[in-house]
Amino acid sequence: MCAARSEQEPAERADADLDTLLTHVAKGDQAAFEALYDQLGSSVYGLVRRVLRNPSQAEEVAQEVLLEVWRAASRFDPARGSAATWVLTIAHRRAIDRVRAEEAATAREQRTAEVPAATDEVAETVEASMDAERLRRCLAGLTELQRESITLAYYGGYSYAQVAALLDTALGTIKTRIRDGLTRLRACLGVS
Amino acid sequence: MRLRLPRPWRRDLHALAGAYALDALDDAERDRFERHLRRCQACQNEVRGFAATAAALGRAAAAEPPAGLKERVLAATTVTRQLPPVTATPRWRRAAAGSSAARRGTSRTFWTMPKIATGIAAVALAAVVALAVITIGTNNSLNKERARNQAIAAVLAAPDARIVSGPTTAGGTATVVASHLAGKIVFTSSGLRVLPSSQVYELWFLGPGKARGAGLVPPAGVTGSTAPVLASGLETGDSVGVTVEPAGGTTAPTTTPIVVLAVPA
Repeated sequence: MCAARSEQEPAERADADLDTLLTHVAKGDQAAFEALYDQLGSSVYGLVRRVLRNPSQAEEVAQEVLLEVWRAASRFDPARGSAATWVLTIAHRRAIDRVRAEEAATAREQRTAEVPAATDEVAETVEASMDAERLRRCLAGLTELQRESITLAYYGGYSYAQVAALLDTALGTIKTRIRDGLTRLRACLGVS
Repeated sequence: MRLRLPRPWRRDLHALAGAYALDALDDAERDRFERHLRRCQACQNEVRGFAATAAALGRAAAAEPPAGLKERVLAATTVTRQLPPVTATPRWRRAAAGSSAARRGTSRTFWTMPKIATGIAAVALAAVVALAVITIGTNNSLNKERARNQAIAAVLAAPDARIVSGPTTAGGTATVVASHLAGKIVFTSSGLRVLPSSQVYELWFLGPGKARGAGLVPPAGVTGSTAPVLASGLETGDSVGVTVEPAGGTTAPTTTPIVVLAVPA
């Protein structure tokens, strides 16, 4: 169905390495933090910029996120997920917090006006092209509504209610499409 | 343990797992879902898988960070204290902590978001420190800056350090970290209206009946944040205020403060 099994192994090893690095970071190991930065810094910055669009804001938020990773490393629990997932979860949450704060402050119209292109952009600036290629294939395996709902919510930073409005679709439908789409994506990516 | 909500509602909540993992819920729904998550093992498993899936989407957006970000972040770590680990709560207590108050102190969300009770102050402190570090990075007189930075770090790390923050009438936010033990404050701001070169923001200790100068606020950088100002001479009962003054500053405030922050005793 999806990517060959053999592709997964190096990725898993890298994940385990990151987990180890993060546990060192928790003990104040700055060299470990630097190594972690080298592996995840571009993902953090890229994701934040993708959501926020504004490079200088993205830099500010990315810096905040990375410092938060340093500060809160002791709260990382490998039993609950990988280090990369933990870091990117923080990055995305922070980016969304910023989006929501700005939405509250400014007129919504401006953002709604620039509806993001959904899937074509996914791999716009990808470094890890193999992973990106696999992701692209997996995304292509979703229904259009699933794919659009997920990318608008995740990359576009829209709430699912906003996604429903943008796609002119019932709220309940968007909710289930996101969940079904993620279930399918998870299986395709071989995420445990 | 069972039967908390009528069935349709529960199913409805369960269906939010996907939107939750994409941070696509509004605050009220997120809180509701997180309460549910704590006692729904199936949801926890699902959210874990979804979060990893979302992270894969995130990594696909990787982009080269701007030059200097790495140095700034690394430098900031040298002056940022790390959180201690959460010490174990007995499993039975954790399970029994359905009344969310008990949980709130440890981690706000299931998904290990390090949002802790003191989060806001601590993050603001970290931001102040990061700013301090930026100043270092761009200043040539490194030793002088380093000493200043250490002095700032000392205020931030003081056992009685308190942070106060508030909006200003010139827009944006002003933030003060104060330590009575050190008798010092660190002031920073973001988003203040840019002044013409003939004017400057001046900082004051506002004591009972008189104002004492506490220094000039440097112009904001490109991000709209000002580099931290370290000022000595904090006395009990002081507030900290900012006024707009002619370039070079004055000996006493001549305009209405754009912000006055009361320093907690």
